[in-house]
Amino acid sequence: MAAGTQCKQYPPTLLSFFIYNPKFGPKEGEEEKKILFYYPNEQEKNEKIRNVGLCEAIVQFTRTFCPTKPAKSLHTQKNRQFFHEPEENFWMVMVVRNPMIEKQSKDGKPVAEYQEDEILDTVYNAVLQQCYSMYKLFNGTFLKAIEMGGAEILKQRLEKFFFRYLQTLHLQHCDLLDVFGGISFFPLDKMTYLKIQSFINQMEESLGLVKYTAFLYNDQLIWSGLEQEDMRTLYKYLTTSLFPRHSESELSGRDPPVRMPISGSLQHYGRFLTGPLNPHDPEAKCRFPKIFVNTNNAYEELNLIVYKAMTAVVCFMTDASIELTKEFCCELDRLVGPQLTMLASDICEQYNISRRIAGPEKEPQFKFIYFNHMNLAEKSTIHMRKTPSLSLTSIAPDLLKILGDINSDFARVDDDEEIIVKAMSDFWVVGKKSDQRELYVILNQKNANLIEVNDEVKKLCATQFSNIFFLD
Amino acid sequence: MEAGSSLSHKSEETEAQGDTVCTEVKEHDAEATNPEDGIREAVTEEAQNDECEGSVCSTEEEVVPDEEKDASSDKELSDSASTDNTLEDSSEFSGRPLVVCEKKELCSPFGADLVSSHREEDVTAESWRMHRKHVFVLSEAGKPIYSRYGNEEALSSTMGVMMALVSFVQSGNNIIHSIYSDDHKVVFLQRGPLVLVSVSRTLQSEIQLHSELLYVYYQIISMLTQASVARIFERKKNYDLRRLLTGSEKILDNLLNLIDSDPSFLLGAVQCLPLSSSLRESLSQILQKATTSNLVFSILIAKNQLVTIVQERTVIDDTRLDPVDLHLLLNLIRASSAFQAGEVWTPICLPRFNPNGYFYAYISYLDPDCTVCLLLLSTDREAFYSISDCKKKIEESMATHNSIQAISSALQSQSYSISLLGVPDLRHFMYKPLDIPENHKQLTQLTSPEVEAPYCSEEEKVRLFDLYRYLHSRIHSTTRPLRLIYHVAEKETLLAWEQLLLLWLMV
Repeated sequence: MAAGTQCKQYPPTLLSFFIYNPKFGPKEGEEEKKILFYYPNEQEKNEKIRNVGLCEAIVQFTRTFCPTKPAKSLHTQKNRQFFHEPEENFWMVMVVRNPMIEKQSKDGKPVAEYQEDEILDTVYNAVLQQCYSMYKLFNGTFLKAIEMGGAEILKQRLEKFFFRYLQTLHLQHCDLLDVFGGISFFPLDKMTYLKIQSFINQMEESLGLVKYTAFLYNDQLIWSGLEQEDMRTLYKYLTTSLFPRHSESELSGRDPPVRMPISGSLQHYGRFLTGPLNPHDPEAKCRFPKIFVNTNNAYEELNLIVYKAMTAVVCFMTDASIELTKEFCCELDRLVGPQLTMLASDICEQYNISRRIAGPEKEPQFKFIYFNHMNLAEKSTIHMRKTPSLSLTSIAPDLLKILGDINSDFARVDDDEEIIVKAMSDFWVVGKKSDQRELYVILNQKNANLIEVNDEVKKLCATQFSNIFFLD
Repeated sequence: MEAGSSLSHKSEETEAQGDTVCTEVKEHDAEATNPEDGIREAVTEEAQNDECEGSVCSTEEEVVPDEEKDASSDKELSDSASTDNTLEDSSEFSGRPLVVCEKKELCSPFGADLVSSHREEDVTAESWRMHRKHVFVLSEAGKPIYSRYGNEEALSSTMGVMMALVSFVQSGNNIIHSIYSDDHKVVFLQRGPLVLVSVSRTLQSEIQLHSELLYVYYQIISMLTQASVARIFERKKNYDLRRLLTGSEKILDNLLNLIDSDPSFLLGAVQCLPLSSSLRESLSQILQKATTSNLVFSILIAKNQLVTIVQERTVIDDTRLDPVDLHLLLNLIRASSAFQAGEVWTPICLPRFNPNGYFYAYISYLDPDCTVCLLLLSTDREAFYSISDCKKKIEESMATHNSIQAISSALQSQSYSISLLGVPDLRHFMYKPLDIPENHKQLTQLTSPEVEAPYCSEEEKVRLFDLYRYLHSRIHSTTRPLRLIYHVAEKETLLAWEQLLLLWLMV
């Protein structure tokens, strides 16, 4: 770069997002009917039709070579399009502008240099699939909507959901963790775990309407009665949307963290995160968000009750066809509030004890990411803070992308494998795949050789992941 | 490319060619001046000459025109494009190879069989879809030019779709690069008026597929030159380029097969026949001594492997032959069995060296079994006789030194065995040095041992090659290159670093 050249870096951004079904407008002149949702809406109608037409053509073209596995992404110089068919004939397309660098050329005109290889397909394909999962959690399947009210109902729902959801997509912060879509589990000793189990059983029995329960502490999952795929999406919603929203309002003082107790009842810190803020308020409305689970078989619509005490959160899910009355909410508050409060402080205490035993808190020795495909458990010591709008990692973004490359390599075969690479920056990156579990470690040891690196990783596995990785 | 067609409309064509070649020269003055001077001279001579090219060298002239009439009528019949192309053809292009046969037989340089078996393949069948890698070449107007599998005419609607995709993206001020699906990558490359598409199941990276398409493009250019192609399509957007490429499908087929099995393409290097240095030295000297004006490259090839190459320094300054050009030359010779008869004098373009001009290649096998081939490249169109004399000198020297026998025995042993290295459990490797000092002006070379057990079956050989491609794409990635890769997989452990790709078996 010449001295004095200004370089402006542009991260990847969302250019457009649309959902279409080619069966809805198969005839000439009817193309507009195919489009069920389109962002940005301001785009000219013919432009929208052309873009949808391009996607159809690409999918058709790739079907020439493999009818069952059509296109997943289109790479062009300036942008990348991702295709996903979540339900038969319903297509979702996300168009992302490639990251680019704008340099000032000699004659003052800005010259754009596109860096398309900085975008990993696996990451954004996963993000697109997540978009569907999240929509489905709150709205049910596309097909059901069509059955219930035709294309109009579906369009309304899509508009309502995606208009807001797309604003929460921060594509520049997406990385390997989005590929995993994992759940962070809270480490517990057996006793406390049993306490929580019995609490849940008790509550479910007392509050007869409850079909499913989930228990979280500190934004981490402890127990869930939901099917794994549904829990995964619900977990993402809770930790990236609901909880942050509430902690924000707490911090800003809008919602007092402690309510005045009703006379006679035990003081407790429990409160509703969904539903009525104060169920004892006569004006309170007991409306809960609806979620749709088990869409492949039972297709259940449920009320989502999220109740929190300190950092413990319990989710109760009841059949949506049964309206939840104010009485029910008060009863829940009365029953759950005190017990949950106690449980929360118990957990806190136990956790502190076990940490004291383990040793003084220090910087985690190894930078790693761990994911278990079987229970979706994930753990990262690389991400210091990850929310949709912020991603603080303790390693260079390039290294994260190398992790993404290794993950793609692992995905190609079912066998257990190990890949060690040395990046140009002299960092060592190690990936281990064993029996549905993946572990990625980053070592900053420039002068180490392959054997030394191998030994270091073995040490890590022995201490933190004993009995898991047998690869030798 | 048909042998006869160039001879059909003599004067029109030669004059026109004179025009066209002159303009080529003007456009690229920046290139090394000498070869183009040579071409320019040759051309002005030719424009004055009413004789056809064939008469310059062949005593079988009488035979050729008969055949040529048949050939051109064949061409009319086989032409599925509009017939008003013929006039353009004739005025546009000659450059057909001229074959001088010792026996009185017509040798069509690119094979008499214009349709090979897999051109008959049914493009709607599952088996067609299942090919590991399809390659398509079409023009900007969507006209089919080449398909690796199946008849390109039967694929014209598919090619139309491909072109539509390219145009659509282009209209948005953008360039289409590729389409990814679970199993396939579709890679697009546009160069001038030609669009090349690869549809591959091979797990290669996009960059690797892209560079393979570039090879196909260059091979086409080696037969036609870039300027010609540009001009042809400028004049007539929906020109059917197959008219100029008939018979050369097997050259492209062969190139693609080589690319899928020969590491020299992957590594951008040349694999030399292992020879004792004294033998190579003596052969180089023999070549060096047999020279004539405007002879630029003298190349000796044994069974498709390079033996030695001598470059005339006074003619070419500061440039060395690019491995890509050499690969294209080797492929051309390998793919055309007709070169095995007699002496061939043919124009050829070296795309990396100068994509718009021709060299004139003298090709002759030195032994009756056609294992040792001599290739002499000159910038002088008229130099056939003096070049032929060089060959005779070379032949004589080699006879005195018993070189042919020495080369033959070297060919017996093929490459070396991996056990020579004495590294236990090492199964195979590829090595290409990266630190060649610029001033040595050597061709980048690679070395690799024999492929032995357990990679005996075709399937295993393909898998082995796939592993190398994977290693190469990661180590030499343009955005995230790596210093080292160590990959423990189910059947092997792989180790790669910048210069060395290794494979060894975990016991």
